[in-house]
Amino acid sequence: MPQFSFLNEIETVSKAGISSCYQCCRCTNGCPVAQDMDIVPHRLIRYIIDGEREKALSSGTIWTCLNCATCSVRCPNGIDVARVFETLRVLSVEAHLATAMDTRLFDEIFIENISKHGRLYEMEAVMRYRLHKKEFFGDADMGLAMMRKGRIGLTPHNIRDRKKLGKVMREMAGKVKI
Amino acid sequence: MTTLSYYPGCSLKTSSSFYEHSLRKILSFYGIELKELDDWSCCGASAAPTINDKITDVLGARNIAIAEREGLHLVAPCSACYARTKVAASRIQQDRETREMVNRAISPLVCTGSLEVRNVIEVFLEYIGTERISDSAVYDLGTVRAAAYYGCVLTRTTGAPPSDDIEDPVGMDIILRCLGADPVAWQHKTECCGAGATITNKKMTASLSGHIMDMAAAAGANAVVTTCPLCQLNLDLTPHLKKDSAKLPVFFLTEIFELALFGAIEWGKRHLIPVDDILKSIGTPGDDVA
Repeated sequence: MPQFSFLNEIETVSKAGISSCYQCCRCTNGCPVAQDMDIVPHRLIRYIIDGEREKALSSGTIWTCLNCATCSVRCPNGIDVARVFETLRVLSVEAHLATAMDTRLFDEIFIENISKHGRLYEMEAVMRYRLHKKEFFGDADMGLAMMRKGRIGLTPHNIRDRKKLGKVMREMAGKVKI
Repeated sequence: MTTLSYYPGCSLKTSSSFYEHSLRKILSFYGIELKELDDWSCCGASAAPTINDKITDVLGARNIAIAEREGLHLVAPCSACYARTKVAASRIQQDRETREMVNRAISPLVCTGSLEVRNVIEVFLEYIGTERISDSAVYDLGTVRAAAYYGCVLTRTTGAPPSDDIEDPVGMDIILRCLGADPVAWQHKTECCGAGATITNKKMTASLSGHIMDMAAAAGANAVVTTCPLCQLNLDLTPHLKKDSAKLPVFFLTEIFELALFGAIEWGKRHLIPVDDILKSIGTPGDDVA
């Protein structure tokens, strides 16, 4: 007997009608990165219905997803699959089950950066990410090419209201430290 | 003279500042003035929803509140800014709980979610119109075989009505034809370019953006045209990501306007993939314009 509590939890948070999935595979067929996923989208949806909480929350898929929402607009039952994966990401971090953390790391650095400046100071965010990963020369060639063409912002764009915005963002982030 | 509120977003102030320049130049040619939102902040892009919904809604609400104060329609050229703002506005308008939560957070700013948000294609079609666009094009762009690339999120504003056909948008193709260019038929108009994965998973962007470039070339295009700064940058970076992919120049739609109206683009040197071949192929005014 599946544990419907997990399904209910995800349906409540994501407001997506996951239980109407009849495994037609349209989400998987349209997904541009399905080949890089450990569990393809329609199967992951099925795991939620089956109450496989740990499998769903520890899947690499939710971090491979680029949120392009091809799946969401193609689902014949109107399930916002990309939104479901977003929900799984948040819950997987809360449950300490998250794998493939590069995306998460960059997202946290990104949001922290916004809370500090109000706008993305891309160079600082990318540098912090690289330092964290100890990848010092990863994109040197690409970075130089962009710099030569004037396509990297060298200085931060601080907004006037940044202190207040930062405070509000930290409150909203709750347990997530930004 | 029409005035629109303008939400540039982070890219148009940094990596794609030449897009802002081009957009302002073209819109002012048609009598549209852009009034930049005072002290706007980042939309949160795809990072905010990974943290949680609250932070996503509040980031959206702050800009929406600033825009609603102006009482004008808002144009957001970046697809992420556009989609995030439009989706947040519709959620804030429809869901009382969200509306109350964000208003507590952004006080003394106030937002209702009733804001009208437009992308660049909508601005051209709604405020200028196909007839005026056709009439104003003086240089012959018959040699520009353009693959109109819309990118993934432009039409996928889940929860809010799409601005064009979700699977086969046509707005940009219509505009390109009005300008005298020759848009090609192809199937990768809304494929994802890899977005922010360029930083965390370079191989993925290489494969996705590389494929889009190859497919545009296979469809007979000699240029790719887009309105999204992240799509433009990722595609423009493909020679650095995937050496064997097709190297077509990647223009912003407003740069095609520059070509049709003035016969040249001002900031061609900002492009990573050279645009010279296309520039040289443009006819002079007085040539037979389609």
